[in-house]
Amino acid sequence: MDIFSILLNLFTPSVFLVVFAGVLVGIVVGAIPGLNGAIGISLLLPLTFTMEPQIGLLLLGGIYMGGMYGGSITAILINVPGDVVAAPVAMEGYPLTKQGRAKEALYYSIFSSMFGGFIGVLILILFTPPLAKLALQFGPAEMFFVSLSGLIIVGALSGSFLKAAFAVLLGLFISTVGVDMITGSERFTFDSISLRSGISVVPVVLGLFCFAEMFLNIGKKPSEQVQYRDQKISRMTVVKDILSQRFLVWKSGLIGTLVGLLPGVGTTLAVFMSYGDAKRTSRRDVPFEQGNPDGIIAAESANNATVGSSMVPLLALGVPGSPTSAIIAGALVIHGIVLGPSLFVNRPDVAFTFLYGMLLTVVAMTIIGAVGIKYFSYILKIKMEYIVPTVLVFALFGAYSLRNSLFDVFIAIVLGIVGAIFKKIHVPVAPIIIGVVLGPLIETNLARAMRIAGARNMPLWEYLLATPLSKGLVALVVIMLLVVIRMRHKEKVAAKEVKNA
Amino acid sequence: MNAKLSFLLSAPFLLTAGIAQAQDFPTKNIQIIVPYSAGGGGDTVARIVADRLGEELGQQINVVNREGAGGEIGIDEIARSDADGYTLGVFGYPDNFVLEHTRDTSFTFDSLDYLAAFDDMPMGVFASPNSQHSTLEELVSYGQENPAEMIIGESGALGLLHALAFAERSDMQITPIRYSGGGELMNALLGNHIDLASTSSMSHDPIVDSNGTPIGFAAEERMEMFPDVPTFKEQGLDLVMGVSRVLVAPEGLPDDVREALVTALNEISTDEAMIANFENAKIPYRYLDDSAVNKMLEQSNSVLMPVIENNLDKINGN
Repeated sequence: MDIFSILLNLFTPSVFLVVFAGVLVGIVVGAIPGLNGAIGISLLLPLTFTMEPQIGLLLLGGIYMGGMYGGSITAILINVPGDVVAAPVAMEGYPLTKQGRAKEALYYSIFSSMFGGFIGVLILILFTPPLAKLALQFGPAEMFFVSLSGLIIVGALSGSFLKAAFAVLLGLFISTVGVDMITGSERFTFDSISLRSGISVVPVVLGLFCFAEMFLNIGKKPSEQVQYRDQKISRMTVVKDILSQRFLVWKSGLIGTLVGLLPGVGTTLAVFMSYGDAKRTSRRDVPFEQGNPDGIIAAESANNATVGSSMVPLLALGVPGSPTSAIIAGALVIHGIVLGPSLFVNRPDVAFTFLYGMLLTVVAMTIIGAVGIKYFSYILKIKMEYIVPTVLVFALFGAYSLRNSLFDVFIAIVLGIVGAIFKKIHVPVAPIIIGVVLGPLIETNLARAMRIAGARNMPLWEYLLATPLSKGLVALVVIMLLVVIRMRHKEKVAAKEVKNA
Repeated sequence: MNAKLSFLLSAPFLLTAGIAQAQDFPTKNIQIIVPYSAGGGGDTVARIVADRLGEELGQQINVVNREGAGGEIGIDEIARSDADGYTLGVFGYPDNFVLEHTRDTSFTFDSLDYLAAFDDMPMGVFASPNSQHSTLEELVSYGQENPAEMIIGESGALGLLHALAFAERSDMQITPIRYSGGGELMNALLGNHIDLASTSSMSHDPIVDSNGTPIGFAAEERMEMFPDVPTFKEQGLDLVMGVSRVLVAPEGLPDDVREALVTALNEISTDEAMIANFENAKIPYRYLDDSAVNKMLEQSNSVLMPVIENNLDKINGN
């Protein structure tokens, strides 16, 4: 299929309409705490059944793209990340808002999302077949090491090491509740049917970030509230600054793309990995978690880059790489489109229109974001006494809507109280999330590796180190460990110097 | 126009006055609970049926996903709902039956009223792209010589049961490994991390596209959709096991409501547009009305029960 006919397919009013509508819906559901792109997509899924397949797909793709960005808006403005993937953005963006630089933070977020989105989609267009092969190389051993490297990132976050270690262990513990994936035995379920299905990430994030933040806001005096300031900042200054951070945005986009390829690990890990890496390499004088724009650039470009790459295994092999792409696969199936290598032969019109159309979703996201920022930041003009109940209502709704479960609401509220206490005593909450996300991955993949090694009559370590890829990943884990230890050491020395001075 | 308007306005009152009891139902939206997340096969069936059934009954039908605990949470909720016809459920039988006999569930097989079945999707065994075995015979002789060495991936309640039954009936030991969903399982198979996969016929195309080999389907006869894939039966292995998406209501529906639902379901069962949607989604359409579905389920239960009993320790992870 030549490029001209693809363009002809793309530049129609209906394509533009669905792309913009999809992105807008995505940004809105992304910004609302507890709702995310996956929920937006499952809501609008029935609508696509009556559309041309490529149009329906672009609607869903637009929501996916917009949803990845939307979470950062509320994260920056009111310290409530709309979704897990926006958690690191809150850590850097909200301090900027407190300094009256909300608009600047929002510009960093949208333009980093734009770069990340383009990187992910372009790689999807250019390198789908080799990357799909790469994704298949990741077996239990490789997944185990990748997840392990994710845990090490916790060490790179700021604050007391002991408190961070406690938080990550708590997260790992939370992830063990429920029916064990591999053996089917029940753990910490106390004969409750709700506990049997485990504690999912969304209510945990809502509780620790959203409810906790709102609980802490209750009782704050108006003078303590962040004031809206009409700060003058030009878009070009921010874009130039992003590009002047040498490789940061490209590197983060690449991390997002590569980690986003891996089924099940995906976006959360990608975001925290590139955030941790930005912290290591940042050359700005501003410390992290006090408003360093590099953290926003890294996290936002990484999460939008995963949109394209999580569709690589889906399009090339018919294997969905993330929950969102699983729903998109379901939509395709209804249209009778078989995913996998045959897609590009049997329905090139659908495949290529969708691929190139995803570039349009990035454009639409950038336009809506860049124009909308002026209006988004008006949220700061609203008094806290209106924001708190509104956010709480949305968060309750979001916690419920994930699995239509009151139990999840209960979990979110309990963890909200826990999170508020933790914030008061300076226990970081991000490591808890990392623990909850990575716990099951580490555990199930190690258990699978043990079973396979047992069946093949080889020692576990021999199976774990059987491929060049897994050897490389072990090296990565060791290097990361050393880097984190050195970072910690440097920080200690620096802190001492400050004290002595 | 005035006459029309007054008729329209009075219509609801006429109906509630009880002129014809059966036409009372439905007077409001109906919900169909699906005990899985959006996007899978069971969800797809529910959405295709909900669309057409809603038109037939003249009410909106909403599909609600209540996933969790391998379907237990959603099925439990269907069973505990009011039996008034406004809450229905669609799921893949025998998920409920397997759950009931392997866990301490609060529902039993008889907590539900089975109104129809829509498809018949056999389970199958697929070999990885690097596998040396392309027929059942080769595979079984290798498996018997090398006990427990071959690894079979599976997901879902039926995936494990089918894997265990497959090993038992072919008289060999294989090592089952659990995956959380069809996508993860396919990734492991196509990446040659496992030797075999126990999954439904729906995975046929993506696996074959990436050079995996279908060893056989656990069906009575060859499938129309995949005429080249042999059944286990014709290869000398007596194993028939599959998923059938059923539409259920909580037990105890009022007779008139049940009648209205069954009539509407029979009416839409021959709808060509709906059947085309099933075919598009690669779901083998097979409609069974309320009496046929109960006969099928009864027979299937009696086949499954011994398999579950023989493997209870393996299912519960010992």
